[in-house]
Amino acid sequence: MQSTGTETDSKANSNAAASTAAAARGASAPARCGVLSERDPDAELVARVGARDAGAVRALVLNKLPRLIALATRMLGDRMEAEDVAQEAFVRIWKQAPHWRSGEAKFDTWLHRVALNLCYDRLRGRRETPAETLPDEPDPAAAPEQRLEARSRDERVRAALAALPVRQREALVLTYYQELSNLEAAGLMGISADALESLLARARRTLRIQLAGEQAGKDSV
Amino acid sequence: MTSERFHTLVDAYGADPRRWPDYERADALAWARAHRTEANAVLEEALALDAWLARDMIAPPSRALVEQIVAAAPVPMPVPVPVHHKAPSKRRMFWWSGAAFAGAGLAGALAGALTMSLVLLGNPPPSADDAGHGSAHESPSWMSMSFDGSIDDWGDE
Repeated sequence: MQSTGTETDSKANSNAAASTAAAARGASAPARCGVLSERDPDAELVARVGARDAGAVRALVLNKLPRLIALATRMLGDRMEAEDVAQEAFVRIWKQAPHWRSGEAKFDTWLHRVALNLCYDRLRGRRETPAETLPDEPDPAAAPEQRLEARSRDERVRAALAALPVRQREALVLTYYQELSNLEAAGLMGISADALESLLARARRTLRIQLAGEQAGKDSV
Repeated sequence: MTSERFHTLVDAYGADPRRWPDYERADALAWARAHRTEANAVLEEALALDAWLARDMIAPPSRALVEQIVAAAPVPMPVPVPVHHKAPSKRRMFWWSGAAFAGAGLAGALAGALTMSLVLLGNPPPSADDAGHGSAHESPSWMSMSFDGSIDDWGDE
């Protein structure tokens, strides 16, 4: 390995980058100014929705509904409840859109916050609900799309996700499935990036153990 | 980027660099290129879990749900009409109706005046000869008209 002045500069830059990264990881949610300063790709569409543009309303539903359904389904483990959450979230959108001011927060981040709050309301309500009343089998009379989903999804993955502690599940769903950045996810959860990484690492460790058990089961057959 | 940090990154975010923090992605990729054997072992383990997680598919929303949500949106505002195609205002309508009313009245007055002049031309004023046999204010014929016969004939028979 060569030891040159360039390498020294490189190391210095690397150290500076490392300290910047460490600062970013340790930053609490309100300090995520980099997230807020990005241009909001939904700003124009939301402005048109606020002006009651029928075409924009449909475009926003088609654009955001699948993400909302996916988020709520994985958080709640129940498709019908997830659809209720999505509908409630859109009611909030219709109310908020005329007053939306871009630059304060990204619309998609705000929408995730709304959906997560609605999910948490339902999860809290479940504590008072007897476990045996919760649907755990797909409804045979359900719509064709739901039957297709029930067939296509891997029940073990869904069950493993559902078995995770809710904060670990939230961290994994936001970063892996919703593909939010670590700072966006940490901001939504009100924690630092380091705390988010800790939750993610624990979640993935638990899931790896389950995956290893599944593969061991296949090997033994 | 250190070996420990690279392991921590992959343990938390998985094998796909797109999920790594923006501010560390370039450094982590550079570290992986520089330490291929170690990096590949870590990435391979994480990749297996990523692939397992990807098996959880969520069906897209039904068309009925989409339509239900769209229908619940506030009613669209009416499209504003351009100024040159604007419907006449009430004030303008009032102005036009007043002008029409005045025009009709004027036309009526002119028609009346024309009729009177024609009547007067067709019925010259009575001459001096007629003065002794009738009033200068001769009544129209229909005013002097009566049923034939004497009034006595109206009595009971």
